[in-house]
Amino acid sequence: MAHDMEQLYAERLKRYVTAMCNEKPDKIPIRPFVAEFTAKYAGFTCQEVTHDFDKAFVAARKCAADFDWDAVVGNMVYVWTGLTQAIGTKYYAVPGVDISADIGFQYLEPPEDQAFMKLDEYDQLIEDPTGFLFNVWLPRISNDVRAMDEATSYRNNLSFLKGGMAMLNYFNAFGTQNALLRSESGTVSAIAGIFKAPFDIIADKLRGYVGLSMDLFERPDKVMAACEALMPHLLHVALSGADPDKNVPIGFWMHRGCVPFISHEQFNKFYWPTLKPIIEEIWSRGHQVLFYAEGNWDEHLGSFAELPEGSIVFHVDRGDIFRVHKEIGHKFCISGGISNFLLSYGTEDEVRDHCKKVIDGVAGDGGYIMDASAIMQNDTKTENLKAMTDFTREYGVY
Amino acid sequence: MSEIKQPKIKPGVCIPWEEKLKELPEIPGDKELVKKVWQDIDSLAYVYIWHCLLSF
Repeated sequence: MAHDMEQLYAERLKRYVTAMCNEKPDKIPIRPFVAEFTAKYAGFTCQEVTHDFDKAFVAARKCAADFDWDAVVGNMVYVWTGLTQAIGTKYYAVPGVDISADIGFQYLEPPEDQAFMKLDEYDQLIEDPTGFLFNVWLPRISNDVRAMDEATSYRNNLSFLKGGMAMLNYFNAFGTQNALLRSESGTVSAIAGIFKAPFDIIADKLRGYVGLSMDLFERPDKVMAACEALMPHLLHVALSGADPDKNVPIGFWMHRGCVPFISHEQFNKFYWPTLKPIIEEIWSRGHQVLFYAEGNWDEHLGSFAELPEGSIVFHVDRGDIFRVHKEIGHKFCISGGISNFLLSYGTEDEVRDHCKKVIDGVAGDGGYIMDASAIMQNDTKTENLKAMTDFTREYGVY
Repeated sequence: MSEIKQPKIKPGVCIPWEEKLKELPEIPGDKELVKKVWQDIDSLAYVYIWHCLLSF
């Protein structure tokens, strides 16, 4: 690796980690979560980067090399649909197959009566979550995997073989991708590992949002027990993918646990008590968690403020970043807050003005990472993302 | 707050070694080696299903 590139990497890592410790680095770090934008920029379709992860990796590296960014995710178009197709997964609309090649992949939530977990199956999940996933859930979410009471099939057997080998290939490829990001452009891999809240898992992939909403009233004890049964497993998965050097945080993708999806009471009764102990345990092992707070979580900032100082990085999507800074900025680093609407439909001047407002409002004492509010797809204008980057580099110097 | 309780089958495990051991004859060689390799590969199946749920 070129010495200057290694030096650049070291500078960027220090800048990024310093900000995440809620301290003041030399400059505001830039860590954009660019997904399908990378396809547009590199000249690929959404289909190409979603279905062929080699192209997604190339696109991510091209963006990292051309923009002055401190950290990126090796592939933010994370769902590789080549893998999900090999497994037979039903719940994605795949670009170029189910939808236009120039639209990002879509998650298709089944209707309530076809939820991947039935109302009377809570006890099975609670008793043995891993067994339930293999024996009940997987056959429901896959066109190829047969249920336990069905005859096996060639497609069934191939689903496990192809799915397992493809997943291993994909995960192993991130090692090379992260090394290339470092050696080619001095860019830091922004996160390591994955975490989701027990409640969100039940809403996203098991009962569905509508089903869970009903269960909160009709089967509250079962919902709570299911969340508790998932806790040790979600902790284990999070830690197993975490950065061994403890520099970069575990990504936590927050979905449906906030008001108005659920009430304050439901958040306090179900979501938070089964989330907080996991975050505390992860922190006790020396890892931060990046709360990627999709939507608006402002109503729950008081709860997040209970967490140990420095234990999380809080990413702001639709929330009020100035309120977030006021309520939890003294304890945690904040990221995001730059409107995706503006990045897609605004002018460069409007983007610069917005960045200035955010930097002036929340970044004065450090502890801020520049990023859009939400993951950037192929509607993001290149010139606006460049304006966000260049302005932050010029103005965001301490 | 809820406690993080250890389940009967520990995280990272699909088929516990103790269960597999019952199927095997007396092991004349290195039992720990067999145990370690069983657990290492078993954990890959655990990774598979939980990442199907979380990541894909």
